[in-house]
Amino acid sequence: MKPAPFAYHVPSALTEALAVLDELGEEGRVLAGGQSLVPLMNFRLAQPTHLVDINRLDELDYIRRDDGVLAIGARARQSALERSQEARGAAPLLVEAVAQVAHPPVRHRGTVCGSVAHADPAAELPAALLALDAEVVASSRQGERRIPIHEFISGPFTTTLAPGELVREVRVPVSGAGSGYAFAEFSPRHGDFAVSGAAVLLQLEAGRVERASVALCGVAGMPVRAAGAEQSLRGARGSEEELEAAAAAAVEGLTPSADLHGGSAYRRRIARVCVRRAINLAFSRARGGA
Amino acid sequence: MAVTQQPKVERKWIGKSIRRVEDPRFLLGRGAYVDDITLPGMLHAAILRSPYPHATIKSIDVEAARSLPGVVAVVTGAEAAELCAPMPDFGPAPDKHVWRCLAVDKVRYVGEGVAAVVAKSRYLAEDARDLIQVDYDPLPPIVDPEQALEAGAPLVHDALGSNVAYERTFTFGDVDKDFAEAEVVVSDRLRWNRSGGQPLETVGAVAHYDLGTGMMTIHCNSLTFSHFLFMMANTLKVPSNKLDVKPVNAGGSFGSKFWAVKVAVLSGMLSKRVGRPVKLVEDRIDNISNCDHHGSDRVYYVEMAAMKDGTLRSLRLRTIDDYGAYIQFGTGTHGNSLAQLVGPYRIKTAQYQVQAVLTNKCQQGAYRGFGSEVTNWMVERMVDLVAQEIGMDAVDIRRRNFIQPDQFPYFIPTGNMYDSGNYEAVLDKALSMIDLEHWRAEQKRLREEGRYIGIGVISAQERSVFSATEFWFWFDEPAAKVTSSPESVTLTVDGAGNITATLYSCAFWGNSAETMVAQLVAEEFDVEPQNVNIVYSGSNRSLPATGPGGSRFTVMVAGAVQGASTRIKEKMFKVAGHLLEADVGDLEWTDGAVRVKGVPERSKPMAEIAAWLHLFKHSLPDDIESGLEASKVYDHPYTTMPSDDRTNLGVFYPFMGNACHIPVIEVDITTGHVTFLQYVAVHDAGTLVNPRSLGGQIIGGTAQGIGTALYERYVYDKDGQLLTSSYMDYLIPSAMEVPDLEIGHEETPSPFTVHGIKGGGEGGRMMTPAALSAAIDDALAPFGVRCNELPATPERIVNWIEEGRSRQPELTE
Ligand SMILES: Cc1cc2nc3c(=O)[nH]c(=O)nc-3n(C[C@H](O)[C@H](O)[C@H](O)COP(=O)(O)OP(=O)(O)OC[C@H]3O[C@@H](n4cnc5c(N)ncnc54)[C@H](O)[C@@H]3O)c2cc1C
Repeated sequence: MKPAPFAYHVPSALTEALAVLDELGEEGRVLAGGQSLVPLMNFRLAQPTHLVDINRLDELDYIRRDDGVLAIGARARQSALERSQEARGAAPLLVEAVAQVAHPPVRHRGTVCGSVAHADPAAELPAALLALDAEVVASSRQGERRIPIHEFISGPFTTTLAPGELVREVRVPVSGAGSGYAFAEFSPRHGDFAVSGAAVLLQLEAGRVERASVALCGVAGMPVRAAGAEQSLRGARGSEEELEAAAAAAVEGLTPSADLHGGSAYRRRIARVCVRRAINLAFSRARGGA
Repeated sequence: MAVTQQPKVERKWIGKSIRRVEDPRFLLGRGAYVDDITLPGMLHAAILRSPYPHATIKSIDVEAARSLPGVVAVVTGAEAAELCAPMPDFGPAPDKHVWRCLAVDKVRYVGEGVAAVVAKSRYLAEDARDLIQVDYDPLPPIVDPEQALEAGAPLVHDALGSNVAYERTFTFGDVDKDFAEAEVVVSDRLRWNRSGGQPLETVGAVAHYDLGTGMMTIHCNSLTFSHFLFMMANTLKVPSNKLDVKPVNAGGSFGSKFWAVKVAVLSGMLSKRVGRPVKLVEDRIDNISNCDHHGSDRVYYVEMAAMKDGTLRSLRLRTIDDYGAYIQFGTGTHGNSLAQLVGPYRIKTAQYQVQAVLTNKCQQGAYRGFGSEVTNWMVERMVDLVAQEIGMDAVDIRRRNFIQPDQFPYFIPTGNMYDSGNYEAVLDKALSMIDLEHWRAEQKRLREEGRYIGIGVISAQERSVFSATEFWFWFDEPAAKVTSSPESVTLTVDGAGNITATLYSCAFWGNSAETMVAQLVAEEFDVEPQNVNIVYSGSNRSLPATGPGGSRFTVMVAGAVQGASTRIKEKMFKVAGHLLEADVGDLEWTDGAVRVKGVPERSKPMAEIAAWLHLFKHSLPDDIESGLEASKVYDHPYTTMPSDDRTNLGVFYPFMGNACHIPVIEVDITTGHVTFLQYVAVHDAGTLVNPRSLGGQIIGGTAQGIGTALYERYVYDKDGQLLTSSYMDYLIPSAMEVPDLEIGHEETPSPFTVHGIKGGGEGGRMMTPAALSAAIDDALAPFGVRCNELPATPERIVNWIEEGRSRQPELTE
């Protein structure tokens, strides 16, 4: 389990990193926390010829809030998000999701942007970011683009990032006051990738849902928004029947692919359970509960 | 404490919880494992593994690999077959299921080694490995053990003519009569899937073949059975007296390094080939796919006969065991089963049909329990089924059938003997540690809320200290006589009176072998355990030794330590008698000195006697030689031979521990997730040497039992691909999944072992699967769930619930 040979680049400024990536084009591969990439390389499932290590780009190590947006730089670790007071206030759903990613040692190295760029269909952060209508900022020597996350992730482990581009930050709209949120998942063991999970954000108006976002991980080739559930929740007050209906709507039409830890039907079932739990908790939070 | 026939002996060190003497070096990071060994000029090897479960090898092109700079040699299976004889194999027909260090002509499982590369670094070795081109001709694989029995199934070994490596039906007593007279007969199909020990450190070896002397030295973390290592010399084509296997600290085994000789053979072969030291350390994929130590993989068709009052009469079963592509120990794991086939119960007759089948999977080896854990699960599952059938409580049916304390030594139908026990005392202690009434009330209350908790109560056996007859009695005319599986120790007392104990097997596998020896020596000589120096001999000048396995080490080494100590003391008494001008018969050993009985002033401490013996020979009587050293080879203390017709297998696993486990769990019926509310484990492993380290064994074994019961499985898909080749997919319970255990000990000494010790290394894993299965059934009783296959993964549990619902429509939400 040793990686195939590769060349290693360690830029110390963003401009330098973008120059290197530009030069390398298809050949260049960003190394962030390495928590997904390095195991893949050790298995020789990934054999990049050039690694561009962004761990010295201190300028990208930030989580900050301005103008109603929480911005998370490419060097920000998942553990930093977990501990960030700013993030807890601005996007508590994201903080609840990150706490369910892996174990502390992995979160100490793994980055938020790395998880997004990696686009594992079972990963928590992309699903939470999808529920939050986040944007990805892709930088290259040629300039910058802002890509809504649902356009950024295009399939299992695939994104629309172009050669020479770097995910510089993700931008998360600040969740409004009076909103309720929850991230619920199930995995056989604590810290594993979820069999499936649900990210829910509810905006209540006079006790009724005005706006609902529901996103799921682990049920398709990429995180998906559950439009059916969102629709069914509109106007809901949180009764048992409403929760059930929304959970059922969330998984309607889904045919998750089977793997070792769950067949298709089981994954659907778990997704439904998670949606229900997350909606329930989101309601009680929106009402000022837990 | 349990009632014992033996008077309570006052002991200074045995029975004391002390910290392990092994720990300081490991906690300081100074332990050094095999991968820490670097020899001058050392090269590194990597193995090319087969991606096919079953295929003929048409050709192998190694040109590109050989010409990569830094590569020293590439050896294919065909070349290896010239350099090496087949692997040492204790299987039923080694010439018909030939096992080699690298596959020749045909691969038989995913992961089987096809070629080896030696290069300047492991990185380069792996680069070159990827350049080897193998032209395979895929054959249909045989994956399912029951299909492997069918006529026309693809053959794993053509020479064998079928996939059945061994088959026999043993009948012990008049089984038909018991079944005819039974008022209740229950039957079931039970499925135990394969899992395996997962040591943090994989198997590794550094071999050095000295071209000048012809000496083959192999540093290795896996070797034991030093009295069988001549077989490995034979494989390596070196004279047995030119092979020295040097044991290295191992980072865990759990059985998986029991006889893991392949890595040592490969490194030895490669070193001989290139004339330089070669290191080969398995990576995790190598270990999971090619370790030769997967655990049992059984299907049971089993019936139990009983009376309406709960009296158990007989057990009749057929078991199909999927051994994988080879069968290195024969059906030794079923010897384990036969050792305690009737559990702690007075079941009078039994019939056991075993079919050992070969399939396209990694072969079985040893895993904590060595097959007896599967038997425990099967027996307890069947006892629970009888109880359910007649409406009897799990505790009551066990009490009714326990072998009673005054019935020991007790001979079970297979012929094996249980030396001693007090099963009711173990059960009672466990029950006293749990508030059963409280939990039953909680169960009722929570069910109203739609929550499901369950309590499991089981009582099962923990055999220890095998005699090799269990590997041997399978055939009417075994190929050779049977070994006594000895263990040896040398005690050396230096001129200052300090003691060194030399061990002859690779005893340290993460267990507490050195602590055991230190405590035993301390007991004999009244020294502090941490002052006993413990060293390992290489195999080259070894005394016979078998090493850990079958929970034998402590019992066997205790015999060796006592024997060697007696010899040392005899010599010291002679010297003291001379110095004190006293008759040897008037002397006694007290507090580290030899003294005239009852006269404390007239005594000679050990250090003084040792000094005389090392330095002042001329002042001692002529017949006393200089030096103070003694060895003892301790043979198995209680083995009897089987009857010719094998209706009685003799005594082969006599030191019988027992345990009761009571888990309380909650099952989330929406996800199938199991969580623990309480877990009580009471074990009786005879006289305790170190309660603290035995407690560690129980905790570790129980954690592995939880893995086996709920999480772990090597999954081969229907095409023979291994789907669990990393820890992403092979799920080991972590600290988050394993509850705090509440541990209790009973002590029923063995009348046949030194100090009354029984082995206790495997007990946790032997109990937990049965206990958790019972708890799952109990929790999900409203759905009529019966846990008849492990691991009970969340998905499987959900399916059981759904099946229950479909049987009872009124339960549907
Ligand atoms: C034991 C273990 C358990 C885990 N469990 C979970 C889990 O439960 N849930 C979960 O979501 N994840 C889990 N992970 C993965 C973890 O969260 C990773 O950290 C994350 O997926 C990738 O982040 P990283 O910074 O480590 O990226 P890297 O591994 O460095 O990179 C991953 C990929 O993203 C690309 N990349 C990274 N950053 C950028 C960037 N800024 N711009 C462009 N491309 C980039 C890389 O080129 C690479 O292709 C686990 C990992 C381990 C080792």
